[in-house]
Formats: sequence, structure tokens, C-alpha cells
Amino acid sequence: MPEYKGMKQAVRASEEDLRKIHMIPVPDDQKADEALKYLDEMRKKFRSFVTAMESCVKCGLCAENCHTYLGTRDPNNIPAGRADLVRKIYRRYFTPEGRWFGKLVGAEDISLDVIEEWYTYFYQCNECRRCAVVCPFGLDTCEVTMVMRQILHWLGMVPKLHAHVGHAMELTGNHTGLPKPGLVDTLEFLSEEIKDEFGVDVPFPVDKPDSDILYIPSSADFLLNPYTLMGAAMFFHYIGANWTIPSTMAEAGNFGLLFDQQATQRGNVMRLLDAAEKLGVKKIVWGECGHGWRAAKMYIPTLADRPVRWPITHLHDETSYYVQTGQLKLDPGKNNRPVTLHDPCNYGRACGLAENLRITLNACVPDFREMTLNREKNFCCGGGSAILFDDPEMYQLRIKFSQKKADQVRETGVGNNGDGVLCAPCSICKAQLYPMVEEHKLGVEVKGLIDLLGRALVWN
Amino acid sequence: MTFFIGQVLPYVTVVIFTLGILYRLWRWAMARIVHNITLSPFPQSNAQVAGIYAGEIVLFRNVFLFDKGLWIGAWPMHVALGSVIGGHVVGIYFLGKQFTYIGLSEHLSEQMSALLGTVFGLIMFAGLLYLLYRRLAIDSVRKISVPGDYLHLLLLLGIVSVGNFMRLFPAYGLEYGPAREYITGLVTLHPVPIPDNPLFIIHFLLVQVLLIVFPFSKLMHLFGMFANRWIMNRVYLDPAPGLPGVDLSKGVPVVRAVSEGGVTSAGV
Repeated sequence: MPEYKGMKQAVRASEEDLRKIHMIPVPDDQKADEALKYLDEMRKKFRSFVTAMESCVKCGLCAENCHTYLGTRDPNNIPAGRADLVRKIYRRYFTPEGRWFGKLVGAEDISLDVIEEWYTYFYQCNECRRCAVVCPFGLDTCEVTMVMRQILHWLGMVPKLHAHVGHAMELTGNHTGLPKPGLVDTLEFLSEEIKDEFGVDVPFPVDKPDSDILYIPSSADFLLNPYTLMGAAMFFHYIGANWTIPSTMAEAGNFGLLFDQQATQRGNVMRLLDAAEKLGVKKIVWGECGHGWRAAKMYIPTLADRPVRWPITHLHDETSYYVQTGQLKLDPGKNNRPVTLHDPCNYGRACGLAENLRITLNACVPDFREMTLNREKNFCCGGGSAILFDDPEMYQLRIKFSQKKADQVRETGVGNNGDGVLCAPCSICKAQLYPMVEEHKLGVEVKGLIDLLGRALVWN
Repeated sequence: MTFFIGQVLPYVTVVIFTLGILYRLWRWAMARIVHNITLSPFPQSNAQVAGIYAGEIVLFRNVFLFDKGLWIGAWPMHVALGSVIGGHVVGIYFLGKQFTYIGLSEHLSEQMSALLGTVFGLIMFAGLLYLLYRRLAIDSVRKISVPGDYLHLLLLLGIVSVGNFMRLFPAYGLEYGPAREYITGLVTLHPVPIPDNPLFIIHFLLVQVLLIVFPFSKLMHLFGMFANRWIMNRVYLDPAPGLPGVDLSKGVPVVRAVSEGGVTSAGV
């Protein structure tokens, strides 16, 4: 368990790991100077960061509205407190008041200790943006976290998990590191599963030229959430779509958003555009992945180095359209269990995807119960921004971060008989919630939304 | 000393206040809106965007929704602050006779002016005291506070206390007339000596300190709110749903048999 002066930290990438994502780590004795240089660059670039640094009044409203603070009661996990970790440096070096009256405004000289604090606490932020929704001024601590993770990346301080994913993506085009034969094998297996369980022949076209639709699944669906991938295939097959999965980009996620919004994130965007161009598709449909959907919907327009010729929509913007227009025959009775919905943060607060989830879900299940505080006001699952660290100390933190979510699920009562369903249409939410529903003994099974739709389809 | 406070410092204050704010706004404007980070649900028209701004500015909607304990102090304090500033301007300009324009007699107007000034002054005092108490009493708020956060409150409390004292004990107060004469002198660049009233001089000096500090402090949240909401709340229109090559107008297609295997995989 890595620890720095009492602060528990995520295992970080070794020098070798960093080289694989093309980063040269900065030696400790140069980190402070380099960090200031990078901070100066970022503050001149990101207005959202500057306004967050200069307009916070420390009213503390965000404290009780952040699940990481509610779970840990660590003041550095109060959004305003988290931003203070860099605000004190920002003030000291980049504002007149901090230079001349440092003590009064809480300014502090930079040091290695401060940088280690950054690494600790900016990787305890879920980037869920609930603080931005509740803040009277809309100050977005997620923007602060993103800027700081970028700086940490440039300093060579990245969690091993994130660095590994970045490398796997570059090698194979997906996070799990599955090469094309592995993808095809898995899909063949899933096709057989569909045949066995639902009695229909459903193909999984891979790299099929001249397809109309490019479907981008989360690679976690190949191994962890097979019913999500099966549900999507059944949906596309059911409506008679000419669709395909690109083997070079079988990944809805984009970890660039989470640690390196420049080279890494842009690289993944270009990979997608290459695949779409090569396969001659007409529309790109995104699978169940929260941060990935935000990265696709909101960031591709500003990151793509070429004109984007294809409309990009989310799977559930499409399913809800076909549900709403009465074009799917669904039998909710096939999902005859109480269901509640966890709104993935990136859908509800960043992508405007909340009502459509409900349209689809209500058509697929007979007993849907809303959580109290939902849609853009929902609380994060505690795994947001992929802080899904497995080592024991960090795992304990994940349990604390998911406490609020557990309370919310319990309140709905769907797990009272032990047969509830917690619908969480996001791969990171699923990865976090699979173990967390056990830790908190919630009596629910975690499922994707398209899983439920696939099951509810009525075949001729 | 009173010459400096009354006839020199005000000009220094105005210059620092104005240039300071311009400097800060310039810094914000130099940085870009790099990515589209608008918050959803997305406003569908600029009227809806204006609605968000209005709700936050007029009612402190978010504060009310997510922290009523803060709203009880913050909203009345800010409303009173706005009223007091407005009251100073019209009260001094019209010598307290501003309400004659809505049909009151001159005497009644002056009384009304005094009454409103007193009430809002007291509300503001109570609000500030409550916010100070809150900052000390709530663990999470205390822990993120720095000395400057308390000093702002104390400075405002000082200004309001002196103002209220002059209002409540007119023997120590200042009539509108001499105040207007003095301010007119400042504005027309022919400064006259500041009225010889120690409380007024203290009140006026503290306000100048506040204005000098303003551009270099969190008081910039007045502008920060607009600068930040300009980034966070903007119109976003989603692309139309509907998949190419899919036609369900004649009903769901009969499930087609798949000739061999489940996977088509060109180019393996």
C-alpha cells in the first residue's frame, strides 16, 4: 500500500509503465519547478479553471453535497477544499494578493508535499460534477481535477490502472487488451449464449464493410457485462440494422478524459474517426459507458483534427426513440423484478441523457422505482473517473465513496426481498457497483439498461 | 488626515477598483472555453439560459435547493446589501424625497427612506453575523476558511455597524444634504472637505478599504458568477435520433436466419 506522510495513495505507474504511454517522469527535485510551469500554462488556457480558482467564496455548500466528503469526512474531499489544494499555490504564484498577503488569503509555497497531496486527492475525486450542479456560481471542481490530473500526468504521476489502460488502448484499441481474434471468439460465444437463452440467431458483425451503423461497445462488456453486449446485438438485429463493431476501436471509454486530455484523449478520437472512415458507416452509436459518452459527445468536436462526418448518438437515445414511436414489441413481464435506476453522472450532468433512459426502462420493466435525488441531482456510485483501485486501502475508500449510493438504493426498497435490480447503464458504475452491492448488502443485482431491453424483446 | 481620506483617497480607490476589476476580467477573458462543458439538462433556448441566470441571481435558487441553512443568511443579506447600495444612491441624490415620485408627501418620503434604510441595515447586520457564526460553527465550512474569509465578514460588519449606529442615533448621524454636497464635489472633481463627523469618516474609510480590496478578493464572485455561468449554462441541441437503414414502418422485420455461425468477421 503506497502511502506518503500518512496519505493513502493509489499505486502509481512505474517508470517503465510511463515510458509505455510516452511519458518521461520528472525527478522529485525538479517536480516543484515543473509543476509551476505546467500550472501557469493551464491557467492561461482553461477559463473554467481560472474562474474556479478566483470566484469561490468558500460558502461550504458543496461539502454536504459531495459523496466523497459524506463518506470520508476528510476536509480535503470537500470540493472547495480539494480545489484549495491547488488554489493556495495558484494564489501564491499567480495573484497579486497571494504574492503580497499570502498568509491572509491562505497562500502557500509549492513543495513536494503539496504535489503528493495533489496526487492523493485529485485521484479521490470522481469527477462527477455534482458540485458544479449545486454551486451557486456553477463552479466545476471536475475542471480543477482534470487540469490537475493533466499536470500530474506531465510530472509522471499517474495511477498504474490508468497508465495500463492507456497502453492497452494504444496496442489493441480496447482497454482489456483483447486482440481481434479474442474479440471475435468472445462474440461467437455470446452469439451462442443468445441462441441458448433466447432462442434466436443473432450475429455480431465485426469490421463489416459498408455498414450503416458503427456500434462502439465498452470493452468491459466482452468480459464483465456480457448481457450488455448481447442486449445491444439483439436490439440491432431486431430492428434489422446493418451494423458492425470495429475491432480497432472496440472501446467506448476514453481514459484520456481522466488523466491526459491532450495526447491520449486525442489519439483515441482519431482512432475512432479512422475506423468510421474505413468501414464507410453513416452513423456512430455509443454503448453503455458514462465517461466515454461524455468524451465522445462533448469532446470529439473540440478534439478531432479532421471534420467529423458522422452523427454520433447514444444507444439509449436510439432505443428510447424506437420505444417512444412504438416500433419495438416489448414484454416487461420478462423482467419481473423491482428495478431502480442509477443515473450515471456523465449522462445526467454532462450529456443530457436522463429522460430517455426512463422511457426505455419503463417499457422494459413492470416495477420501476425512482431513487430520491435522481437525474442531474443523483449521487455518484463512487467509482467515477475510474478510481476503481483494488488494493485494500483504496478499496476501503471505494466502500466509503459508495455509502451515499447504498443509502439511496436502500431507500427505494427494491432489494427488500433480495431480488431487486439496480440498473446502471455505465461500465465504470457496473465495475464499482458489482462489489459494492455486496459490501453494503443491498439485495440487488447490477444490470445495464440494454440488458433489460434485450431480455424484454418479443421475437416473432 | 481627513484631507487625505476625504479628498485624495477616494480617487485612488476608484482607480484601483476599476483597473483592478478590469485586470481580473482581462485575465479570465484571456483563458479560453476549451471544451463544451455545459451542464445538462441542456437549455434549449437563450430564454431558458436567461431563466437559469435569473433564478440564481434573484432567488439564489441553488442555495435554496441544496442548503437552506445557508440561504436563510445569504439571500436576505444580499437583498439587503443591494437595497442599501441603491438606497444610498437615490437617498443621497434625492435627499430622501425619492418616494414623492410614487405619491408620498416629502415628509413621509423621508420617513420611508429612513425606515427602509434602518430595516435593510439591520437585516444585513443580522445576515452577516449569521454567516460569521456559520463559518465558525459548521465544521466543514470552518475547515476550508482562511483568515481572509473572516476579515471580509468583519469588514462588512464594521461598515454596517457604523452605518446602523448613525441611522439609529441620528444625533451621531449625517443629514442627506451635507453628504450630497460632499459626494457632488468628488464626482465633479472639485472635492470639498469631508463632513466633520467621525462616524461618517470611519464609515466612508471602511467602504474605501472594501473597494480597494474588492478586485483582489473573493468579492469578485459578483463577476465570477456571470463569467462561470457563461461557460456552464448554454444552449445545446441534440442530433436527431433514428438509425440509417432501419425501416420499421411495415412492422418489425421477421427474424432472419443466420446461415452459419453467429459472427461475421470480414478480413480475419
